[in-house]
Amino acid sequence: MEKARHTSLWQMIAAPIVWAVHFCAVYAWTASACAHAGAAEEARLGVALMTLAALGLIAVFAWRAWRQWDLLSENDHVHDAPTDGHRRRFLGHAGLLLSMVSAIGVSFVAAPAFYIGSCL
Amino acid sequence: MTRPRPEPPRAWHDPIPQAAPEGIYPPTEEMLRAPVDPKVQQAQEKRLRAVWAQPKGWRYISAVNNSEVGAWYSLTAFGFMLAAGVLALLMRVQLAVPENDFLTADRFNQFFTMHGSAMMFLFAVPMFEAISILLLPALLGARDMPFPRLSAYGYWCFLIGGIFVMGSLLFNVAPDSGWFMYPPLATKAEGPGSDIWLLGLSFIEVASIAAAVELIVGVIKCRPPGMRINLMPLYAWYVLVVGGMILFAFPPLIAGDFLFEMERSFDWPFFDPARGGDPMLWQHLFWIFGHPEVYIVFLPSIAIAAMVVPTAAQRPIAGYSWIVLSAVGTGFLSFGLWVHHMFTTGLPSLSLGFFSAASEAVVIPTGVQLFAFMATLMLGRVRMILPMLWIAGAVAIFTAGGLTGVMLAIAPFDWQVHDTYFIVAHLHYTLFGGMIFPVIGGVYYYYPFFAKKKMSERLGRWSFWLTFTGFNICFLPMHLTGLQGMPRRVYTYPGGIGWDWLNLISTVGAFVVAAGILVFAWDLLRPKRQPPTERNPWQGGTLEWSHDVPDPGWGSRSVPYITSRYPLWEQEEFLDRLDSGRFYIPDAPEGLRETVVTSAVDAVPQHVARITGPAWCTLWAAAFTGGAFIFPTFHMYVPAVISALLALAAVVWWLWTSTAQVPEAPLKDVGLGLRLPTYVSGPQAPGWWGVFITMLGDATGFASLVFGVFFYWTARPDFPPEGAIHADPVFVAAAAMLLCASWGATRVARSVNRRAWHGLTRALLAAAPVLALAGGGAFVLAVTVPDMEPTSHVYPAIIWALVVWTCAHILAGVLMQLYCLAGAFAGKLTPRHDADLWNTTLFWHFLVLTCLVTAAVIGLLPGAL
Amino acid sequence: MQDEDAQGSTTAPRRLCWGGGALLLTACSGPQSVLDPAGRDAEVLAVLFWWMLGGAVLLWLAMNGLFFYVTRMKERAFSPQAADRLIVFGGVVFPTVVLAVLLSFALSEMPRQRDLGEGLTLRVTGESWWWRVEYRTEDTETPVISANEIRLPAGSRSELELAANGYIHSLWIPALGGKTDLIPGRETRMSLEPVTPGEYGGQCAEFCGESHAKMALRAVVLPPEEFAAWLEQQAAPATPPETETARRGQAVFLREGCGACHAIRGLGARGTIGPDLTHLGGRRTLAAGVLPMSRAALEDWLRAPEAIKPGVRMPAYGHLAAADLAALATFLEGLK
Repeated sequence: MEKARHTSLWQMIAAPIVWAVHFCAVYAWTASACAHAGAAEEARLGVALMTLAALGLIAVFAWRAWRQWDLLSENDHVHDAPTDGHRRRFLGHAGLLLSMVSAIGVSFVAAPAFYIGSCL
Repeated sequence: MTRPRPEPPRAWHDPIPQAAPEGIYPPTEEMLRAPVDPKVQQAQEKRLRAVWAQPKGWRYISAVNNSEVGAWYSLTAFGFMLAAGVLALLMRVQLAVPENDFLTADRFNQFFTMHGSAMMFLFAVPMFEAISILLLPALLGARDMPFPRLSAYGYWCFLIGGIFVMGSLLFNVAPDSGWFMYPPLATKAEGPGSDIWLLGLSFIEVASIAAAVELIVGVIKCRPPGMRINLMPLYAWYVLVVGGMILFAFPPLIAGDFLFEMERSFDWPFFDPARGGDPMLWQHLFWIFGHPEVYIVFLPSIAIAAMVVPTAAQRPIAGYSWIVLSAVGTGFLSFGLWVHHMFTTGLPSLSLGFFSAASEAVVIPTGVQLFAFMATLMLGRVRMILPMLWIAGAVAIFTAGGLTGVMLAIAPFDWQVHDTYFIVAHLHYTLFGGMIFPVIGGVYYYYPFFAKKKMSERLGRWSFWLTFTGFNICFLPMHLTGLQGMPRRVYTYPGGIGWDWLNLISTVGAFVVAAGILVFAWDLLRPKRQPPTERNPWQGGTLEWSHDVPDPGWGSRSVPYITSRYPLWEQEEFLDRLDSGRFYIPDAPEGLRETVVTSAVDAVPQHVARITGPAWCTLWAAAFTGGAFIFPTFHMYVPAVISALLALAAVVWWLWTSTAQVPEAPLKDVGLGLRLPTYVSGPQAPGWWGVFITMLGDATGFASLVFGVFFYWTARPDFPPEGAIHADPVFVAAAAMLLCASWGATRVARSVNRRAWHGLTRALLAAAPVLALAGGGAFVLAVTVPDMEPTSHVYPAIIWALVVWTCAHILAGVLMQLYCLAGAFAGKLTPRHDADLWNTTLFWHFLVLTCLVTAAVIGLLPGAL
Repeated sequence: MQDEDAQGSTTAPRRLCWGGGALLLTACSGPQSVLDPAGRDAEVLAVLFWWMLGGAVLLWLAMNGLFFYVTRMKERAFSPQAADRLIVFGGVVFPTVVLAVLLSFALSEMPRQRDLGEGLTLRVTGESWWWRVEYRTEDTETPVISANEIRLPAGSRSELELAANGYIHSLWIPALGGKTDLIPGRETRMSLEPVTPGEYGGQCAEFCGESHAKMALRAVVLPPEEFAAWLEQQAAPATPPETETARRGQAVFLREGCGACHAIRGLGARGTIGPDLTHLGGRRTLAAGVLPMSRAALEDWLRAPEAIKPGVRMPAYGHLAAADLAALATFLEGLK
């Protein structure tokens, strides 16, 4: 079944968009928490919550991309045929890989909140 | 040619139907195999040749074809590169020995500022655009870029701006505050240097954005039929990503330039701490641009490698999806690195940590990229052709630069080596490895494509080894110079602390690099008396190698139907069919330049676009735009305004006479049993995409200003200051309502027009600009009635900046509404031909958002704080 | 605990540097070298650098060796599975693991180097193009003012409050630790924990205009007792000139209006635009680390400061009679 999202480039880059939103949110939240209150704990808690939310969203997109990639039905990942199926599975594959990199990116970006406990 | 068909019955409230593609798609194998009569072929070729002929003699400069503009563009960028390289050599002479007085401090500061600025703004980014303009249509089997006059306009802007900025060196008034122009040094600098930098380079940035818009539209809409997104050449993927990055990276700098110039010219204190400003805002805006910039330079060069590697390995690229991941992933992550240029500015450790982490994470997609190349080479039988030698050099140099980059991303280590020669070494390793070497490799690879001749194998190897060894002699010791404590940007240094020998070695190396580049330049430019090369000298598999020798100017003889990533390797009788005009639009019976427009993902043909030919209006537009940016440098505001108006007139003339023209018939036979509309509007039209993409960039610039408000609020305790005067809420509310009404009128006019209710359409289009002007006026009153004085404090200044930005856009919106109104009277805008109105409505969607955000910020913020 | 580990492990890589022969020895050491550390932070970062350099060299060799192998040496093509595995492990798994480890170390080190410590507090203000240095102690109410030289006690962490007047600067003493910018309108901080007493070079690292190259400074690390004695001496007013020449120099100083810009506590000069000269002669360098402190250098400087430091605000005194100039230099040098 071809769904609208199977032809969507936006769907492919959904996970990195989550990364970008998470990054901006984490940065803005920390900047304002540290600048106006010096509240490092508040900043860290916020980062942790936003990170969980972002990872959850990325997991959803990754799952969808995995379904779209549909690796198991045809064990091939070159996707170079001029067909709807190959285009759909290519977009799924790229989306899955981007989800993976975005998840690594989000985890990396959250790491400072784990190690650093002050606004200095 | 097309018979008028009977109109289907239509209710009074139904929109008039638009032309849609008719006939057979995709073509069958049988149709593709059918021969074309040689006489027909010859007649077609003759007509095509006439249509695509370049203007001769002095009229040559009115050419707009991508092959001409691309060649001018790349040669100009290369010229600026040589000039900036000479500056580097002069600086190396000065630094060869301690306490040298070859250059004065002031000259040295001008030179290093211009070396960096020119290499970045006049060479690296324009070179990407130049090469892409030259290559992209060929890679996509298109006849030209979607907006050839826009490319020409961009080129002339670039040339004028570049000469202006570089020329300032000759008068000893060049900018001297570093290519990063940090205030307060740059805001307080005397003389026109800073203004030349700000206005001259803003002008070039506008041209860069124009090129980016065109390249994105080219990739999305001008692919040949059948070239689905999973079959696109990797170069096109990179162009798409890099175009998107330019769109989000350059506008923050333009917004920064706007604030900066307001401070320089009118004393609005954005960066003056005494009146609530903060020099750090500039650093943020500059590096939000500046770091993605590095990847904007790097990715297209890697894209060239992605075209060379499969040819060298004689097999398709391995890990296509992985490379797409790498390009897209790098594009995103590169926006999370900017603060690593600001690790020493005393921001909270937590914030530094985020950027440190993202700077490490970006290594992953970059690494994937390199390993995908390795994998391709593992799978094929590699021929070490000369371009591959340059790619090998690039890998050696770039991996070294990448590895020092991993070190620098570690914030505490960066605290040590930041702003030292270690950084100078690192950045040159990444830029030589990530840009110079692949680009030169690309020139050797693509020279037979551009010039239909070959460059010298022997000179190429000489050039490579000179450049490669010279580069390492010059820059490898600099790592140690930096670790030994030598800061960057010093015009001289004391002897006896271990820097003397290292600097002397670097200077020698610099001259060896120069020798290598000169050999290359000679090889590139020397007259070559040799027979034309064969058509596909490297046996590449992608479409650009289908161009005929000698190149007849039309690019692709017919626009092919594509079923493979490497059509030249994998599609049957491909070249024969292409040459005989078996594919789409093999003819030009109307005497118009055309190319096929397809859908974004699956490349289904949608439209045959008429594209523009040689023109003078682009030159005029560029010259006057230049005046509008250059006169303010010398505080000559009246000529500046006159120039701006003339530029506007030239642009309106250009649009009116050549875009969205009513065609002679709604459908056209494009061959292979397919008939395509000759006029489309809305999301099917390249013009609509052009507006959409431009407005994304524009929205980013606006977002940067709003970020400024947020920044002042977090960074400054006195924002807004005690007892500040706020904007008048009544006027703000009135402005918001009037502008929403204007937007609504425009949107409704679009629907009404489709129903052929001419009177109502015209009434709405007449009312809309009046409402918009009233709304803009209300915004101005909102800040002038309470007498907010922008020079008194940064709070009124940033509110004013938002109002100025918004009002400038409102004026553009009004102009577009009036353009549509005029079109409605002139018969250019009809129920079937409404592309201008679609584009205007799209512009207004963005504009109304801008207005509402401005209203919210200036009207609601005081309460929220 | 971790500090000790870090210091303990410095010996091995250091030996690598020292042991590499005379060439490497001179290459790594130096008064302003990151690789010749004399402070806790610099020590940790030098060790970190050697580790990262080792790793980088190995990875560079692996990467380029592989490239050479696949382009020039391999006999036949690899299988597609091998190519896939290379992309997955080389491109994703390996870098993710290595970078995660490196990042963890960096993130845990960062707060330690940002710790303000419990020792001395200094305030350093970046001027064009020199450093104003103020020591805050509990004993005196007004800070002890000096310029272009930072003295620190060994063995404790001192906090440096940073400010700037005019342009942005960056304070960097490589042997002691990383740099931090001095930004107009902002208050930034850094801290340093010197370990080994000695004299170290420092320099402004952020481009700050015409004489950015001439904005150096000297850091002197003293054992804590010596430091205390020195600070007490600095807090005292200047000693009046004793020789005839020096007294003549003082007269020239006052006659020429030098006191409008410079302060000499106890001798009636109260200017605050230029550096405080109360104990000028006791400093190691002149004109922000550009010249050695000597009478001859002082004379050169007074005669034509612009030739030594382009764009400097100090006017030239070349018009003075030679004897007056010499006397002025003698007077200033005598301000120990």
